[in-house]
Amino acid sequence: MRRNRGIVCWLLAVVLLLSACTKTGGDAQPAAGGAGTGTKPAETGQPASGSGGGKMTDVGTPRSQTLIVDILSGRSADPDRMNPYVPGAVPMDSGLHQLIYSNLWEIDTVKGKQIPDLAATMPEPLDNTNTKFRFKLQEGLAWSDGVEFTADDVVYTSDMLLKTKELGYSGYYSSLVKSMKAIDKTTIEVETVQPETRLAQKLGVVIWGTAFRVMPKHIWEKEDPTKFKFTDPVGVGPYKLSKRDPQGNWFLYEKRQDWQKSDIGKLVGEPGPQYILFKYFGPEEKRIMAAISHEMDILQDITPESWDVLRQKNTFAKAWYENFPYADMNDPCERGMSLNAAKAPYDNPDVRWALTLLTDIKNVSMATFGGMLRASPIELPPISVLQDNYHKPMTPWLKDFQLSDGYKPFDDSYAKDMVDMLKQQGVKGLPTDAKEMTDTFGVGWYKYDPAEAAKLLQKAGFKKQGDKWLKPDGTPWKLTINAPANFEVQSMRLAFAVADSWRKNGIDVNVQQMDAATFWDAESTGNFEVGSYWPACGLLPDSTSNFQGWHKKYIVPVGQQAPGNRNRWASDRVSSLIDELNGLKSDDPKVIQNITEINKEFVKGMPFIPMFGTSKFVPVDTYYWSGFQTSKNEFEGPWWWWSQFKYYTPHYKPTGK
Amino acid sequence: MDFYKFLLSRILTFVLVVFIGITAVFFVPRFLPSDPVEAMIGQLTSKSAFMDPKAIETMRTTLNESFGLQGSLLQQYFGFFKRVLITHDFGPSLANYPAPVGELIGRALPWTMGLLLTSTIISWAIGNVVGLLAGFRKEKAYSKLLEAISIALYPIPYYIFALVLIMVFAYIVPIFPLSSTFQGDGFTWERIKSLVVGSTLPALSMILVGTGWWVISMKTLSAGIAEEDYVHFARLKGLKERKIMSRYVLPNAALPQVTMLALQLGTIFNGALVTEILFGYPGVGTLIYTGILQADYNLIMGTITISILAVAGATFVVDFLYPFLDPRVRYK
Repeated sequence: MRRNRGIVCWLLAVVLLLSACTKTGGDAQPAAGGAGTGTKPAETGQPASGSGGGKMTDVGTPRSQTLIVDILSGRSADPDRMNPYVPGAVPMDSGLHQLIYSNLWEIDTVKGKQIPDLAATMPEPLDNTNTKFRFKLQEGLAWSDGVEFTADDVVYTSDMLLKTKELGYSGYYSSLVKSMKAIDKTTIEVETVQPETRLAQKLGVVIWGTAFRVMPKHIWEKEDPTKFKFTDPVGVGPYKLSKRDPQGNWFLYEKRQDWQKSDIGKLVGEPGPQYILFKYFGPEEKRIMAAISHEMDILQDITPESWDVLRQKNTFAKAWYENFPYADMNDPCERGMSLNAAKAPYDNPDVRWALTLLTDIKNVSMATFGGMLRASPIELPPISVLQDNYHKPMTPWLKDFQLSDGYKPFDDSYAKDMVDMLKQQGVKGLPTDAKEMTDTFGVGWYKYDPAEAAKLLQKAGFKKQGDKWLKPDGTPWKLTINAPANFEVQSMRLAFAVADSWRKNGIDVNVQQMDAATFWDAESTGNFEVGSYWPACGLLPDSTSNFQGWHKKYIVPVGQQAPGNRNRWASDRVSSLIDELNGLKSDDPKVIQNITEINKEFVKGMPFIPMFGTSKFVPVDTYYWSGFQTSKNEFEGPWWWWSQFKYYTPHYKPTGK
Repeated sequence: MDFYKFLLSRILTFVLVVFIGITAVFFVPRFLPSDPVEAMIGQLTSKSAFMDPKAIETMRTTLNESFGLQGSLLQQYFGFFKRVLITHDFGPSLANYPAPVGELIGRALPWTMGLLLTSTIISWAIGNVVGLLAGFRKEKAYSKLLEAISIALYPIPYYIFALVLIMVFAYIVPIFPLSSTFQGDGFTWERIKSLVVGSTLPALSMILVGTGWWVISMKTLSAGIAEEDYVHFARLKGLKERKIMSRYVLPNAALPQVTMLALQLGTIFNGALVTEILFGYPGVGTLIYTGILQADYNLIMGTITISILAVAGATFVVDFLYPFLDPRVRYK
């Protein structure tokens, strides 16, 4: 045994030697002129610890000064690659676009409008052609390496995109912008290829981020943009990359010493955290353990079950709402069932409506996310801004809406019914007045009415044999719902819940879980009957851009990859309304009218059965940090993976622990 | 002469196995109903919720060109072989474009080898010792205890076992970190300390679960050999039990175990996906997983090709080692 012990010790020593020989290099290379890259806190002149405790993080920063954020996309395979114009490898939501890169126009999701960021003004047309625009840039901003940010940087980025066809974004950009020129240090004129009414939406942020990211001319002009890694990223945001894990599990950002010259420094104020650590802890179980142990301050998506565990084990953990439904419901995409209008029998609106009426939406809500969902009867997500502009104003029309046989399918009692149902289950803190109920659970949905659905199916030639439906050709009605496998949990669960509801009503439903590549390929090529996809997104009242893809001109035959309109639903009326919208300016009152009309067409045709907004359980731990946004402190939504994250940082203050 | 015939036949077998394996790895992913370009566009649209149809069209064209997915399957196949054989290049990763597959594998492989090589050899060594004791000295209490522990651990699903280790040693009694953070550079104390701390739990989980199988197989082998006539004869000769065990039973029982070890060492190039995900350990397993999820043909081909080469190479080497380990085996 002694000999065996010796062998074991010897082998352990060998493995240590083997692993030690692997490349490491945890620090980012110092950027030209930049201070503090790769430095330890003691070297930055910062106190060794905060006001409390002196606990250090495992990357060597004082815990009291370090905000730790979960990484939504997980580990980065190549953490050195920061060139945002080469798609794929860039760890964009590992803090890079949240803290370093800045955009011309950002989004204020609470007000539902774009705001200037690097730009100081919105684009102003120079004539009536809508092809020439001018906008000003913020003055006094500097890149994180100290070089002044000017119009030359924006123009350089534009020219680089126009010239470098190998970049994925170049093709689209060239179809949008003809030229950009700097009039002076802070004034830019743009000429577009076609008349444009929404230039800021196309070059700025509408949701999550934007493809047009201004790069520093003084660095990029010396490089080949197709090969440049941009390993030491330089931006106008308030932080700089300090250290990174060569294996891509974490990225440490440090507040710029000259944060006053960052966009946030100028527009909002000094960011609270000295350090922000974006870290991937692994699967959900480990992320929850980390949050319970106060090792993570901001969590990305977790399931309702995990939230239950977290709130019971960590009293400092807070979700968007203090009580039920806890989750934030203002995510800009809604979930539902996409129907392939190019495949029989789903090419028949009566069949699509029958499936809608066979959906027991309350039970589907309970089965999917324990009832913590806001229903949407139209083609726009039920976020507060859009509810006020569309869902609520459209409710009278929805109530009056009739199917071809005169049947009125809309049911406005969904919110109240959900409250009653949840009350019976002992859920506390439910809304009590009608407005609060609607704001929480939505304006209503469609009736669960198998009898009316049967009428529609019989009209379409279906027959019932025993408790099973037969298609018009006499074969049993079998359908497959495509669902994501182990990603986009809400859509995955929704597919199973809907399948259950339809199965109970005589349809042989199979849920096919697919990995990402197969799931998206099936949607694009139209190789699906029903899919738990989410083609209905929007955040601004002017959601023209989100409807573009539904134009009939984008329909291609099944088997070919579609650029848009993946449901292959052809509507002349919707297409002409989209054409008309493209000619209207964003603030034209007719925009809302047209989009309302488009929504009415979607209700009539039902190519996508809208069901729920996305409920996000993205909790925070208030043990080390305070000032997080919640429903009671709603300066912004909890969009930790969006480029606007940098706007939140001045609100966060250490608790002193 | 026999040796050269043996050598030639083994080389031919090696080449054939590698050729068939690589050909299958090239074609199989391409017959799947998935597309790397669509996967990337899907990934982008699911994040930003919207992409202009025109942008999707132009991006699709650019990516198809950049990824080298144009041309017939046969053209791509010959291009792939030419690239791998002449320039030893698997091309860019499509999911992590334009990072070269070779670079990604080079980054992950030392970690995988460091963890799996060690844990495989340790579990093999412990498993064989315990198995030998359990098979040869089955009446002893310590043999029974060790065997019982090993066999009890073996059937526990690895995911559960690893999670329990994490909960106990990183959460309830936080001796180890929840997520491995490897610090320091080169061959420094900070580096070594961080490696020991960060790798102990993943290694322990693999050793404990991996040992059970070796115990069971070694016990069966040694128990059978312990009943052989030559072992009885050795006892009658008055040899000590320890000598009988180490000189008579162990060498004969170890042969199949060596073969299995060689094959297992070949498979370590596949990585240990669950370990990597659970412990945040950087390795080849995650690369293969990402490659499959994102239909990254080049990454799948790169990682699996190395695995094919490793398994075929290990078998090739074992074939040559056998005559040294067992005098009854000859190069024929």
